[in-house]
Amino acid sequence: MDRRKVLKLLLASSGLTAMPAEWVAAFRSVHADLGSASAPRILTPRQDATVGAMAELILPQTDTPGAKAVRVNEFIDHIVADWYSDQDRVRFLAGLADVDARTQGLFKKDFVDASAEQQSEILRALGEEMAQAREALATAPRGYRGADPEPDDNFYFMFRQLTLTGYFTSEAGFTQQLREEIIPGRFDGCIPFEARTPSKSS
Amino acid sequence: MAATKFDAIVVGSGMTGGWAAKELTEKGLHTLVLEAGRPIVPEKDYVEHVAPWEMPFRGMRDRKKLLQDQPIQSLCYACEETNAQFFVKDTEHPYTTEPGKPFRWIRGRQVGGRSILWGRQSYRWSDLDFTANLREGIAVDWPIRYADLAPWYDYVEDFIGISGEALGLAQLPDGKFLPPMAMNCAELAVKQAMAKHFGGERVLTIGRVAVLTETHRGRAACHYCGPCHRGCITLSYFSSVNATLPAAEKTGRLTLRPFSTVDSLIFDSNTRRISGVRVIDSQTKAALEFQAPLIFLCASTLESARILLNSTSPEFPSGLANSSGELGHNLMDHIKGGGAKGILPGQENRRSFGNRPNIAYVPRFRNVKEKQAGFLRGYGLQGEADQEGWDRGTISPAFGADFKNAISRPGHWQFTFSGYGECLPNHNNFVEIDKNTVDAWGIPSLKIHCAFGENELAIRKDMAIVGAEMLAAAGAISIQPFQDDDPPGFSVHEMGTARMGRDPKTSVLNAWNQAHDIKNLFITDGSCMTSSGCVNPSLTYMALTARACDYAVDQLKRGEL
Repeated sequence: MDRRKVLKLLLASSGLTAMPAEWVAAFRSVHADLGSASAPRILTPRQDATVGAMAELILPQTDTPGAKAVRVNEFIDHIVADWYSDQDRVRFLAGLADVDARTQGLFKKDFVDASAEQQSEILRALGEEMAQAREALATAPRGYRGADPEPDDNFYFMFRQLTLTGYFTSEAGFTQQLREEIIPGRFDGCIPFEARTPSKSS
Repeated sequence: MAATKFDAIVVGSGMTGGWAAKELTEKGLHTLVLEAGRPIVPEKDYVEHVAPWEMPFRGMRDRKKLLQDQPIQSLCYACEETNAQFFVKDTEHPYTTEPGKPFRWIRGRQVGGRSILWGRQSYRWSDLDFTANLREGIAVDWPIRYADLAPWYDYVEDFIGISGEALGLAQLPDGKFLPPMAMNCAELAVKQAMAKHFGGERVLTIGRVAVLTETHRGRAACHYCGPCHRGCITLSYFSSVNATLPAAEKTGRLTLRPFSTVDSLIFDSNTRRISGVRVIDSQTKAALEFQAPLIFLCASTLESARILLNSTSPEFPSGLANSSGELGHNLMDHIKGGGAKGILPGQENRRSFGNRPNIAYVPRFRNVKEKQAGFLRGYGLQGEADQEGWDRGTISPAFGADFKNAISRPGHWQFTFSGYGECLPNHNNFVEIDKNTVDAWGIPSLKIHCAFGENELAIRKDMAIVGAEMLAAAGAISIQPFQDDDPPGFSVHEMGTARMGRDPKTSVLNAWNQAHDIKNLFITDGSCMTSSGCVNPSLTYMALTARACDYAVDQLKRGEL
């Protein structure tokens, strides 16, 4: 269906209750010139594998894709290379090296070679330290609009921020896991959670 | 190059320029609209349906590029990854301020100007606003009252389409509204609690917003995708690109010239009229000149002041139409940054569906029926309510399948009140030409001197207290009042630099937005404002523009211009 037909239909339909998927596709084809992910720029293959394994442990494959399947590692590489400040990049890469150092210290292996249970133990330790870092900020000044102070320089906090962002802004994370839609077509103010729209198969 | 002649020239194609173009062409005038920026083609330029996974930075924006090219513009909430091109490059548009007195000048240079980016909240002024200066002996009296503008509010609202709820409040007159948008669970809860605790003095209503809830004058109802400030292919929110410019185009009398940066206006000392407009072609930098017997300056509050201040002549050594000495002075912007947020326990098993491009609103209640201590005038509060999302999982140490599913469900309802308060007119808040700073086209830029005073700061403090009070009344927990030091300019409601008034000695414009000094010059953007009120100002600018066009064309036909 071409755009002109879509607009005609929209103009004819007052009180729209749902937006057919084909309309969405027609809309989207209008703005479909944005680039896709690129090859790793800053992470070595080993670092890339560590990032992928950690991310998958945080957001694993379930009945929907996990972090690896939606290539969260590529997003993290992109942000560390092109978005982070030099200081944050150094901090992130040092944190990543520390993950292997911890795993070596405890299990005489790099993170990617450790068992799932061993990897989980490392994440639990990182999580505890992140919680302590946040605790230390309890009396720190609040941010804009009263925002809670966050341990922005804690590696695991940085890592989780990128993992969650990369996952939930991916197509599968957004449409399958969150069941969100780009063009909802209507607004319901207050409905039971279960009354949301069914999951898309794609 | 030889000058080219039209019946009227409109400088600017944004909120008010679009209205001037529509009104003047519909009244039979061949009208040239000069726009400094590029053309906008909705099919090509609008980006509202770009999905997060189609964005290279997934909505986190190209931080390094913004820091380099748009360090000021990118502070605006509406400047996102996909639409930063609707904001100017700060590197091309320098301006200066005094040390310790920051001013954030948020600008959009393209056909449609900032009407593409605006927040769409649309409220009428009342006589509480129009009489405030007179009652308090501040600045000068408005030369008009609500009765003068009411029919023009009707006229403008009928064209643009405003959805909202009639309340019958004297301080916030009702309009003719399209059906209101629904409230979400948290807003409904707070609304009920406020009705119970504040006896009708403080009410929560759904925002009055220039977004269509049903088909209206050939534009489609909203499809609730959310980010209006990226454009709207169904034209469901009002902008000049979506509505007024197409209406002007339809008359066959519109000449829209993008890439036309206005340098200055030419004053003819024999006729004591503007005889032409000096333009620099934004692409070639060629000097051009256009002529018309009627000029509407709609370039925005600060740009219009800049054009006039840059248009000096022996008769007007301190700026065109500035015999009063008030040109560039009395700069105002609504004070914001005060409010409170909290969590509303309950209803976690409910959600809203769709992205409603609107907020809830508490109309002004301070100094309405009786004078309250602490400050003059008042403020309205916007209410934003949503549910905690997946990002709450960042700080959690949990991981794994259960964690993934738990944070994919919405969490607690959270509610934030934040105020927009009236700013008093003050002669000492002003702009002047900074001859040492020129833009990329060689045009001298502005030095802005502006700071909030004690009255504004007292208002901001009250916003935080009142916001917390109302959240407490609604049973919120973890209530966090805040007073952020948002500088002037950040509400993007700047106004007042060529104020209307009754006396040519103390004001730039008369009751019809016509320059006291120059009969064929009308200024109808925010610069005309004599005081700031506390509501979002665009609707009032539009009504003033339509009214001024009606008067100007009548005067033109009578040979009075």
